Amino acid sequence: MRRRILIIEDNFANMELMEYLLRAFEYEVSAAVDGIAGIELALTTVPDLIICDVHLPKMDGYEIVRRLKEAQALRNVPVIAVTALAMVGDQEKVLNAGFDGYIGKPIDPESFVGQIARFMRNGPTLKKAAGPAHNTDAESDRRS
Amino acid sequence: MSFDFNRLVLREMPDGIVITDPAGIVVHWTAGAEQLFGFSSDEAVGRSLNDIIVPPDRIDEENRILQETINNGVCYYESLRLTKGGSLVYVDISSKAIHDTLGQLEYILFSKKDVTHLKAMRDAKLLDAKFRDLLESMPDSIIMVNMTGRIVLANSQAEKLFGYAPGALRGQLIEILLPERFRGGHVAHRSYYFGAPRTREMGAGLELYGLRRDGTEFPVEISLSPLATEEGTMTMSAIRDLGQRRRAEKKFRGLLESAPDAIVIVDQAGEIVLVNSQTERLFGYPREELLGKKVEILVPPRYGAVHPQYRDGFFKNARTRPMGAGLELFGVRRDGSEFPVEISLSPLETEEGLLVSSAIRDISERKRIERSLHEKNIELEAASLAKDRFLASMSHELRTPLNAIIGFTGTLLMKLPGPLTADQDKQLRTIQSSARHLLSLINDLLDLARIESGKVELIPEPVVCQEVIRELTETLGTLADKKRLWFKVNLPPEDIVVLTDRRSLRQILINLINNAIKFTDEGGVLISLCERIADGASHVEISVTDTGVGIKPNEQAKLFQAFSQLDSTSTRRFEGTGLGLYLSQKLAELIGGKLSMQSEFGKGSTFALVLDATHPLRMCKETQP
Repeated sequence: MRRRILIIEDNFANMELMEYLLRAFEYEVSAAVDGIAGIELALTTVPDLIICDVHLPKMDGYEIVRRLKEAQALRNVPVIAVTALAMVGDQEKVLNAGFDGYIGKPIDPESFVGQIARFMRNGPTLKKAAGPAHNTDAESDRRS
Repeated sequence: MSFDFNRLVLREMPDGIVITDPAGIVVHWTAGAEQLFGFSSDEAVGRSLNDIIVPPDRIDEENRILQETINNGVCYYESLRLTKGGSLVYVDISSKAIHDTLGQLEYILFSKKDVTHLKAMRDAKLLDAKFRDLLESMPDSIIMVNMTGRIVLANSQAEKLFGYAPGALRGQLIEILLPERFRGGHVAHRSYYFGAPRTREMGAGLELYGLRRDGTEFPVEISLSPLATEEGTMTMSAIRDLGQRRRAEKKFRGLLESAPDAIVIVDQAGEIVLVNSQTERLFGYPREELLGKKVEILVPPRYGAVHPQYRDGFFKNARTRPMGAGLELFGVRRDGSEFPVEISLSPLETEEGLLVSSAIRDISERKRIERSLHEKNIELEAASLAKDRFLASMSHELRTPLNAIIGFTGTLLMKLPGPLTADQDKQLRTIQSSARHLLSLINDLLDLARIESGKVELIPEPVVCQEVIRELTETLGTLADKKRLWFKVNLPPEDIVVLTDRRSLRQILINLINNAIKFTDEGGVLISLCERIADGASHVEISVTDTGVGIKPNEQAKLFQAFSQLDSTSTRRFEGTGLGLYLSQKLAELIGGKLSMQSEFGKGSTFALVLDATHPLRMCKETQP
């Protein structure tokens, strides 16, 4: 059976990118553009993993993850923040808010699906984070 | 022989014997009389007693006595008489009418005995019983004098002030309490005063002095009031020692005038003893209006009620301290206007007892500056907060579109949508590297902004250098492998520990190692670690050596500047942001280290980070914002 992933993301291009990548790797993807719709969808479909942005209209990611974690049915569903909040301290803040993982934007398309798969295997209790693409990417050039 | 004795009696008799004619004109005046009244026989004979020794207000009495003597033959009485010097003496008088053989009144004989002292002692006894308790209860020194200028009562305050034993002043002439040079004049003054007694300040406007038993003088202020008693009119004088005020003034004047603050010195009764001219200016009072007044005159009325309590409290536990620390204090000017002040109090031990010196500073101006600084601060904080928010949203907003650019370039290059032509592949890789360059720029600029605004949080902790290097070589070594470069690490067997911020150390090393790999096409990269002792200090050096393109000497100087990308003739690729080394150097400074470089063009470069291992924690702390 194909694994099901719910993406809560308001930016069309970023939604499209993640949907495309995950579908290319045989995941079943459902999408919501705000927290209200996302939580409803999560409760009705109970996906295997939820990807959630932090900056969102109506309800921010922190509130969404709080509500998701309150639902008995979603207790074992990892919720991963994929966000452009990449200042110092943002990752800690996100993980402290209840997210099971953190992936900074821009994502690294080659490793993104692998990271998601790892979070899914590890389940919701193990907090793992993958930094923004440039941190793991040695291509970043620092010579003046 | 008997005649000789009569002469002897007349000549040597201590009492004054005076003989007048029936009209009261002196016909005989003995040596005793000269002694008693000060007039010589030549001066007295031929003049009326009323003109020389009878005080004007006693002439009626004298006439009555004369009449009685004539009527009865004798008369005994006590009365006041004037002396040549103008002072009054109490005399005990016996008079006898002398008749000639025909029974005609021929002379009147007076025997006058000086009882001034006895009288004073008598008065003293009476007045003591009557007034002692009352006078002892008064704070001032009080001395009561009878009409002859004899002290009939002095309270113990007065005795102490003038240095006399209890009771020792009784019966003494008041003049013994005056310096010699004033005594003569004083006798006339007091006779004059008895002529028209009323309550008043003595010698208003004059400098008056008292004389202590030990001969020392001191300035005094005296007020006089008449007191009618059965024993005649007494003069009561209240004497205040101005010495305390004057001496304190003399001692501190110079000091006080040189102080920048208004200084007010207060005694235990809360009275102002001394002020400097700064006080006059600050409070708008002339000095004379402040001296002797309660210090509460300078305190706003709403505090006036509680202030004396605080004042007493201070004297009970006197030590230098700011007044009402933490409270807003105000002074009040003569015109009633108030102003904020800062006051510091210090006890002042003087010979006359404990005084308190208060230094008062007008802080209106400082308050105003504080207020405006406070407002400025709020503005700056708001500006700093706005800047932080701006940086955070800039970071967020730039990353969001980059996500789609890098992401879809990636999916295309991963050939997820389908195969690519060689040109498509090449162009997509250009997009990819440009996008990543842009991302690096964003990251570096944000880092720089954080460093320059002092927002880098340094957490000094013991860091094992070997651990950090091994960890980095695992991830970065694969890059070297991809370029078929050798990658060596030369670490000493014993752990080298520095107290530093791990994150900053890592970031610097990542930059250096990345650069080394990036700019080396043949050969490899060596990372080495060593500890050096120089000048008694221990330094840890981590160096990254490559066999890359190297840097021309004329370009080496520019290397650590921002955006000073080396030109294309010395590098084949320059995808860097131009900020990497600049940032690394800033970070190195933050953790108390230094970056150095050695390079030979065409042969390779060595970049080294040197950390002070002796005092790294201190240095880290010093550089913390």
